[in-house]
Amino acid sequence: MFDSDKPKARRPTPPFDPRFPNQNQTRNCYQNFLDFHRCVQKMNRRGKSTQPCEYYYHVFHSLCPSSWVQRWTEQIQDGTFAGKI
Amino acid sequence: MLRQILNQAKKHPSLIPLFVFIGAGGTGAALYVTRLALFNPDVCWDRKNNPEPWNKVAPNEQYKFYAVNVDYSKLKKEGPDF
Repeated sequence: MFDSDKPKARRPTPPFDPRFPNQNQTRNCYQNFLDFHRCVQKMNRRGKSTQPCEYYYHVFHSLCPSSWVQRWTEQIQDGTFAGKI
Repeated sequence: MLRQILNQAKKHPSLIPLFVFIGAGGTGAALYVTRLALFNPDVCWDRKNNPEPWNKVAPNEQYKFYAVNVDYSKLKKEGPDF
């Protein structure tokens, strides 16, 4: 679905985010996850391509532990996700 | 309480440095906690009107007192707008 599925050139690490300057990057991970889903939802609502949302996809895939990503995706599918999307 | 301290200081003037340092330490701690409460972008007071205050931080804004190796004037917003 996204460019990340192709085994192409490696992407650089997510850049420094001044909203989260400290060692604890949990919120960085969570915020990018939320931003990705909000972006996709908005683009779908407007009928545009979700290609620009890929940036957030790569960032949270880089930052978040995969178990968290799995758990949140399952919660979204079940409708029990606690965050606001 | 300030009057008690002044009376003690008059009776035992050698205690004055103690009062000065304890006072400075206490005010410093109180001021830092106030800074955290009011300016830290992680702190959310108003969930209805300002639910994610860290999103209001400009890409150039520095909250830390001292940031090693980060040139804040060169930073810009990374992700695409939507």
